[in-house]
Amino acid sequence: MLTSEEKVYFGILVILTLSWAAIDFARIAAVIVSRPGFSVRVVLSRAVRRLPSMLTQVGATLPVFRLRPREGVFHYLIFAAFSFYALVNVLDTFSAFTGFSTIGQNVLLDAYNLIADVLSVLGLIGMAYFLVRRFVQKPPVLNFNPGVVLYPKVSAGGIRRDSLIVGAFILTHVGSRWLGTAFHLAQAQETSLYLPTASVVSLALAGLPAAALAFGVHATFWLAVGLILLFFPYFVRSKHIHIFFAPLNWLLRPDRPLGEIQPLKTDGRPLALQDLRWHQLLDTYACIMCNRCQQVCPAHNAGQPLSPAALEINKRYYLTDHLHEFADGSAPRVPLLDYAISREAVWACTTCGACVDICPVGNAPMLDIIDIRRSLIEQGDTLDAGVQKSLENLGKQGNSFGASGRARAKWTQGLPFKVKDARKEPVDYLWFVGDYASFDARSQQLTRLVAKVLNDAGVSFGILYEAEWNSGNDARRVGEEGLFEMLAEHNVAALDSAQFKEIITTDPHTMNALRFEYAKMGKRYKVSHYSQVLARLVDEGKIVLRPQNGVNGATRRRVTYHDPCYLGRYNRVFDAPRALIERSGLQLVEMPRNHNGSFCCGAGGGQIWSANSKQAERPSEQRIREALALGDVQTFIVSCPKDMAMYSDAVKTSGNEGKVVVKDIIEVVVEAMAESAHEPKR
Amino acid sequence: MNIIVIVKHVPDLVEELEIAEDGKDLNRDFLKFVVNEFDDQALEQALLLKEKGGGTITAVALDAPEIDQTLFTCLAKGADKAVKIVGDLEGRVTSHAAAHMLADALKAMSHDLILTGVQSAEDLDGQVGPLLATYLGEPHVSVVTGVEARGQMVVVRQEYAGGVTGEFEVDLPAVLGIQAAPQPPRYAPISRVRATMKEKKLVEIQAAAADGAGLNVRQMVRPQVASHAEMIEGNTDTVVERIVGIMAERGLMNG
Amino acid sequence: MGNVLVVVEQLNGKTGEITFEMLGKGRELASALGGELHALVIGGQADELGIADKVWVMGDGALAHYTSANHKAALVAAISAISPRVTLIGNTSIGMDLAAGASAATGIPLIAYCNALRVEGGQVVGTSQIYGGKVLAEVAPEDGACIVSVLAGAFPASAGRSDKTPVLETLAPPALDNRVRFVRLIEPEAADVDITKAAVVVSVGRGIQSADNIELADGLADALGGVVGASRPVTDAGWLPKSRQVGKSGLRVKPKLYLALGISGAPEHLEGMKDSGLIIAINQDASAPIFDVAHYGVVGDLFEIVPALTEKIKG
Repeated sequence: MLTSEEKVYFGILVILTLSWAAIDFARIAAVIVSRPGFSVRVVLSRAVRRLPSMLTQVGATLPVFRLRPREGVFHYLIFAAFSFYALVNVLDTFSAFTGFSTIGQNVLLDAYNLIADVLSVLGLIGMAYFLVRRFVQKPPVLNFNPGVVLYPKVSAGGIRRDSLIVGAFILTHVGSRWLGTAFHLAQAQETSLYLPTASVVSLALAGLPAAALAFGVHATFWLAVGLILLFFPYFVRSKHIHIFFAPLNWLLRPDRPLGEIQPLKTDGRPLALQDLRWHQLLDTYACIMCNRCQQVCPAHNAGQPLSPAALEINKRYYLTDHLHEFADGSAPRVPLLDYAISREAVWACTTCGACVDICPVGNAPMLDIIDIRRSLIEQGDTLDAGVQKSLENLGKQGNSFGASGRARAKWTQGLPFKVKDARKEPVDYLWFVGDYASFDARSQQLTRLVAKVLNDAGVSFGILYEAEWNSGNDARRVGEEGLFEMLAEHNVAALDSAQFKEIITTDPHTMNALRFEYAKMGKRYKVSHYSQVLARLVDEGKIVLRPQNGVNGATRRRVTYHDPCYLGRYNRVFDAPRALIERSGLQLVEMPRNHNGSFCCGAGGGQIWSANSKQAERPSEQRIREALALGDVQTFIVSCPKDMAMYSDAVKTSGNEGKVVVKDIIEVVVEAMAESAHEPKR
Repeated sequence: MNIIVIVKHVPDLVEELEIAEDGKDLNRDFLKFVVNEFDDQALEQALLLKEKGGGTITAVALDAPEIDQTLFTCLAKGADKAVKIVGDLEGRVTSHAAAHMLADALKAMSHDLILTGVQSAEDLDGQVGPLLATYLGEPHVSVVTGVEARGQMVVVRQEYAGGVTGEFEVDLPAVLGIQAAPQPPRYAPISRVRATMKEKKLVEIQAAAADGAGLNVRQMVRPQVASHAEMIEGNTDTVVERIVGIMAERGLMNG
Repeated sequence: MGNVLVVVEQLNGKTGEITFEMLGKGRELASALGGELHALVIGGQADELGIADKVWVMGDGALAHYTSANHKAALVAAISAISPRVTLIGNTSIGMDLAAGASAATGIPLIAYCNALRVEGGQVVGTSQIYGGKVLAEVAPEDGACIVSVLAGAFPASAGRSDKTPVLETLAPPALDNRVRFVRLIEPEAADVDITKAAVVVSVGRGIQSADNIELADGLADALGGVVGASRPVTDAGWLPKSRQVGKSGLRVKPKLYLALGISGAPEHLEGMKDSGLIIAINQDASAPIFDVAHYGVVGDLFEIVPALTEKIKG
């Protein structure tokens, strides 16, 4: 089909564009592989192991459907069309050079044509949907909060321009190819059952003069295949590079659980791109700027200037602008705080992990934020007064409350039995109680309830008394790595001095540190949350729940449950608290955001210590609103002592006292136990 | 400017303080010590002066349980040198004795300015700053909330009750008792303190013999602590009636 | 001889309340010791000091402005000249400059942070409040004389006032020590009320729920002739200015009446108000720590109780 002249031009174009794109791509690859921690062996082993799961995740674009199912469908149309077009473009080029035609050859090619025909139309529809969404509907989820740091090119409309160019390209590319097929059919004066839409169009073109049809065939080839060549160099420098890096990221992202973060040496210098690990740069290129991360971010929802997406976007724009220097290692160290994210945003993160969990391309912007905090702490950044006080208390007293470390077990006073000292006698369960459950006045009575229930159920358990210090989970997430190490070393020594089979924690944050982070110090503990232990005891019949509620046709009381970030997303414990609620005769009504999609109370990552109040509406208050919107739900059940503190306050500050009561899961259990006790013997 | 900052360990007041069996001191067996909060302010003030006008900072402390950690923290925050005065320092050292030992040590150390916390939790016999200044024959100002270097003198602000502040010029060398630095004491990351422990050494000086304060402690007691509130029960009217009654009883109702 | 010397504290030409508190106590000590009560005025006025048997006046113009160096030198000279058995100095900013310095210069022992004084068997015994008020130490000088720095508010000022005209005697001032030079006095900006001075403080905590509800507390404070204070969450939220914050990180108050409305009682807050004369707390939560320091407590809804209480007080 192509003239010899065209073939030469095409050949030159292939060489020019592909080599141009390849050079930039090689630079990106060079930047990534030169980062700390990169090793071919690790990459290969992950790639081999993960390939099947990656293919299903990416093949079905499953993560894209979360939060935005409609966009998920339209995205899938483009994804499917574009993926199939990889084959289409090769075959089209082959046909153009050889005059080969796929029409009317065999069953296989008939099927190929049918798929290409249908997908072309669907892909066009998908692309049109997104262009209308971005440029006509302009959904607010694509906007950033005031004060979010944006790279100059981003604030000058770079993302919109990028979207427009890519959108127009896809429309032209797919549209031209589709139209080209119609021209082919019109030229050959035939139609094909296997090219239904192109055939219809070809009928409309049939009346055109032969010269026009020939021109159409050539022009659409160049607009379809020629254009894609021209776009290769642009792809590499646009957000569209996500089509390469998103699958790569799913394949190569670290194996670590969300709750295990790696140490980082910053040498007291401000954190720059040069300090980031290779997978943190991979993130940059995988990001398509869908903003799902900020949609689920508690700080963003509280009106603070934090957008995890903007962080990735800014990093990529900066990298792209300085790709040469980064590739040859000559790039100056420019602090990320100068262009990627503001200090205020860094300190606003609750480390809830929602951004990591929701990201369709497997990014972890939260890790960058924690790393920046570490460098800020190292440099002696002026801390929030509350955070500084708490860190000092942790260093001096081993608890954030600044209470005497020796008063750690004071909550046990008033119990009708003595809680065993696990350092002095062996126990089955070592209960690592945690700061809030030990020192917060509100939580102490709940802690005593847990102790009573465990004791009554005949569980052999003990505590470490004053040898228990804060686990360091939040200190580490504030960026105080040295303090974390100190606390962890102390606790490991204390745990070494005790004899036990399993650890119970009250605080999910503590659970995370003991389970995932102490493992790095060579200590693998079996750690359960108290809700899991309670559920187990109910299953074993050691706790009897035979509530009257809901028996004999009586309606069950409607309650809702809040998944704590560090219990749900981090430790994947979703079922135990729910089972306890159901077994207690209550009807669980889920809030729209539940399980791993739960919304943070705003306390994590040291925020509970912070004196900061620059929030439009606290995340905890938003969450109470979410619960009240369920209607007819007056009990808000929690399973984390920090949640108890946060939500009890939120109910007050949002003016909802009397409308909803915050209860700990242990209170639910104890109430149901009391009802069983009153039940007449059968 | 060469600045000396005097730091002192005091019992951590968040702990339960027990009185020793003889009733004349705290039971020091299980005491936990922390740096005197005002000394932390003094160090911060010194660091700010150094950051603005250069010079050196030497942290000086009498030996006490866990004092090394505190001196290394001073170094981690930016002090150049840390000196520990060692000797027979068991039990509570009176402010007079401490000031004598410090004066003896500091005479041999060239300095322009000595900063210390305005007071500490155990200065039963007076604050160390003015005692030390008198033994050294240097001028002294207490309750200082601002220091500015100006050649061979400093301009200081002294805070009085009710928010009134006095401004003074003080010739150097001088001793200042710091109430508060212009900004809260900075945080010393634990990793840096640990690194400092590996990199730097404390200088030890032998303490001179010193007289006591000339006071006999007859006994120490813990003040009576108020118990739980008496709860007022009943409906709003009853409660209001009762509260008004209680306030009237104490003559608090006439405004 | 068992004379008692009270060092008069004057700032801006005004004699501080602490002076009368010391004069009252000094009178009592002087009679117990069989001596006279003397007052020392350095570079100031001898008015209002009628309760003293003798007022020593030292220096004038040159000592008019307080400086630590000059006034310490003057005090040391006066102590040498008068040889009092007991020298009382306020434990104020000025007293902190003078008391320990004079003790070091004269070799006379110092009892600091004193909140109780008595004479027992001819010996002066003082109680020193140390370790943040957690310990009271009863001490006595090894030999006869002592200097005592007295905590503000420890003794009643009323006992230190008298209409009598005292005997005045002039003391020659020592050579000036000009190493500390007075520049100026800076008055505070008159912006908001001083909650540390109020006899009644009505404080609100998180339980007040919103900035709009602060007016409830305003109403009650008005009715009681008091001021409105707050716990940290309230000032953090910007519902009240920082100058109203009661607590360790705010201001310490010691009013005759402290009403805690919707304050749970974080240690940080308790530290700033636990010494108040009468503490009444209203809170929803029966286990709130505020009830551990309050004298009277109500578990209930402040939005019901406070308006009713305000009405009742207004009559």
